[in-house]
Amino acid sequence: MSITISRALILAALVICGSMTPISWSQTNDNSTAAPTTAANNTETAKLPASDLKPASSDEGQLATVKNARIPSYAKVYFAPMAGGFENYIIAGLRNKKVPLVVVVDRTKAEYEISGVSESEKAGWAKMLFIGSQNSNEQASIKIADLKTGAVIFGYSVHKTNSVRGRQSAGEACAKHIKQIVLE
Amino acid sequence: MSHKIRFVSLLALLMATTVSMSQAKEKNAPPSQKIAKGSKVFIAPIADGYETYLKDAIASKKVPVEVVANREQADYEITGTAESQKAGAAKKIIMGNWHSREEASITLSNIKSGEVVWAYSVHEESSTHGKRSSAESCAKHLKEAIEKE
Repeated sequence: MSITISRALILAALVICGSMTPISWSQTNDNSTAAPTTAANNTETAKLPASDLKPASSDEGQLATVKNARIPSYAKVYFAPMAGGFENYIIAGLRNKKVPLVVVVDRTKAEYEISGVSESEKAGWAKMLFIGSQNSNEQASIKIADLKTGAVIFGYSVHKTNSVRGRQSAGEACAKHIKQIVLE
Repeated sequence: MSHKIRFVSLLALLMATTVSMSQAKEKNAPPSQKIAKGSKVFIAPIADGYETYLKDAIASKKVPVEVVANREQADYEITGTAESQKAGAAKKIIMGNWHSREEASITLSNIKSGEVVWAYSVHEESSTHGKRSSAESCAKHLKEAIEKE
């Protein structure tokens, strides 16, 4: 009888402990373990179809997250090379906007991957003559994928007409919106 | 007997909670982003030989780092991108501006840990000294980052 009670108590203790465990589990840098290392939402999002992308409020550009997915703070993020080295501008933007993420140069050490495209259109003579502006038009689109599950959890695109700071502005806009989904 | 069982269960619960909380704390700890003075830095090739301007700027701004030519000897690596656009006829005639448009972005990563510890981007719509200006801007901010730590 006492053994049954003790088993029940231990089981209850384990259940309570499990419920109190924070969102992120402990992790190792190796890829060998299959333990979930990301936010619980992210594992759920892996099974979701693309139609679950929900637009979020944004001052500029289009932003979409899957079921309000979040990235834990100081998660390791890898930037895939983008056209014209735009990834460098986003990394600089992350630092400028104080986004709590760790950027790594090795993809195997990362939990998330940020990839995308960017395009810059310099002001031509007509724009200078008729509008009197020598600022460029910038557009970029990025997505964040969870490397464990392969799910795209976040997408954002920005378009800036007459960007005063060129690609720097577009990179900072991306960083600002990445910050919105990082748990602080 | 039942008191003993309860005590053991509570102890197990307390230990498990402590362990899980400490693990969570470890994961959320911010990485050390301190750049030590006198560190050896390797500058990877950047478009249009921008790394040359950067090396020169690091020397002229007296940034407390040692630039090395071999990546194996370095503690940190600077990578990045740069773009320079000369003033065209339209810019000269219509805007009356002869200066070039400069854009650059660099990142400093720790070679051992593979983590990016510092990054900076610069944009100059009409740069008086072209690439030199933007490279010196990068060097100036790198120096600030090192001295701030």
